[in-house]
Amino acid sequence: MHNIFSRVNNVSAFLSSCMMTLLAAIALSSFLFTATPHGDLTISSIKVVASNARRYPNKKQDVAFMNFNITADLTPLFHWNTKQLFVYLQAEYTNKQGVKNEVVIWDRIVRRKGDAFVKFAGKNKYMFRDISSSFKGVPPANYTLKYNLMPYVGVLQYGEAARTTEELPFPPSQRL
Amino acid sequence: MFTEELKAFKRLGFRHVLLQVLNFASVIASGLMIWKGLGIITNSESPIVVVLSGSMEPAFYRGDLLFLTNPANQRYQTGDITVYKIPGAEIPIVHRVLETHDVAPKKTKAAKKKEAEDSKITNPEATVVTLDHQRLLTKGDNNYEDDIQLYQGLEWLERKHIVGKVRGFLPYVGYVTIAMNDFPQLKYALLGGLGLLALIQRE
Repeated sequence: MHNIFSRVNNVSAFLSSCMMTLLAAIALSSFLFTATPHGDLTISSIKVVASNARRYPNKKQDVAFMNFNITADLTPLFHWNTKQLFVYLQAEYTNKQGVKNEVVIWDRIVRRKGDAFVKFAGKNKYMFRDISSSFKGVPPANYTLKYNLMPYVGVLQYGEAARTTEELPFPPSQRL
Repeated sequence: MFTEELKAFKRLGFRHVLLQVLNFASVIASGLMIWKGLGIITNSESPIVVVLSGSMEPAFYRGDLLFLTNPANQRYQTGDITVYKIPGAEIPIVHRVLETHDVAPKKTKAAKKKEAEDSKITNPEATVVTLDHQRLLTKGDNNYEDDIQLYQGLEWLERKHIVGKVRGFLPYVGYVTIAMNDFPQLKYALLGGLGLLALIQRE
């Protein structure tokens, strides 16, 4: 039957299947871009200070402060299906109990290709605390610069852009 | 217009109506089966979610559709975007992991005994540390503060609160459900319309 209803129905079904195919093709196409950018990351200083614990203000807890330099050219990660990059600096260490800990100490959202050359020198944006009250006896930590590529449509991708060359120990805590 | 439809309806009779009802029911049942099947494959209680807040802007806006997985044997890492549900809170929250702290599993006597036995058999799978013990702290990309205020008294987010991690993204599509929640009339109109169409379609 060729009434108006069936025509509308056919056209919209065809349009939506075209749309789905196009979106799937775009999502798959981002697997063709396999850029692995490399940058530099140096931690210039680490300081551990006894501060008030977050939940219990009358308790003491160590907070680590660090200064670092990041230089990373992430422009190759921008292709037609890149909506934004979430760039983050992560400290990674195994604590006294022998289990893994990861803490993000700095992040930045990059939305345009023009801003994708990340050059930053400064200190951590987020408080760096161990789950226990101090960094005493905690083995040295690795620092890595990672990114999360977020697409307009499709699969989220993760990668590593830079890493400190050696593990860096925590200095003894000092009182202010 | 409708008189013709009604005539056709009368002509086709009761059996036809029953058949259409059956068709309609099978559509709903297969939808439910696909949803639950996806849930089993992804190990997540709700493998597809709609973003309801702007706390992850500019990555996710209201109405975007997210596809989740929750692999039982994988750690969560910083930078992963999780969907979590705190007991007592009504809606799940989509935020990024800021800190992960693994916890050495507490060994009960029975577990220690079992471990000793297992090491004799040297079963590699038995020595794998259970990954349920992980403490997480999350933060929305668009928020200045981390989520400790949202945890309703909990100090850390744990594995049992997590619905899944975001793997795929499809913009705008979920806005239909938000619109239906904001304007319930739309929901009833849509459901009624679909039901009516299913009943009076002739093929």
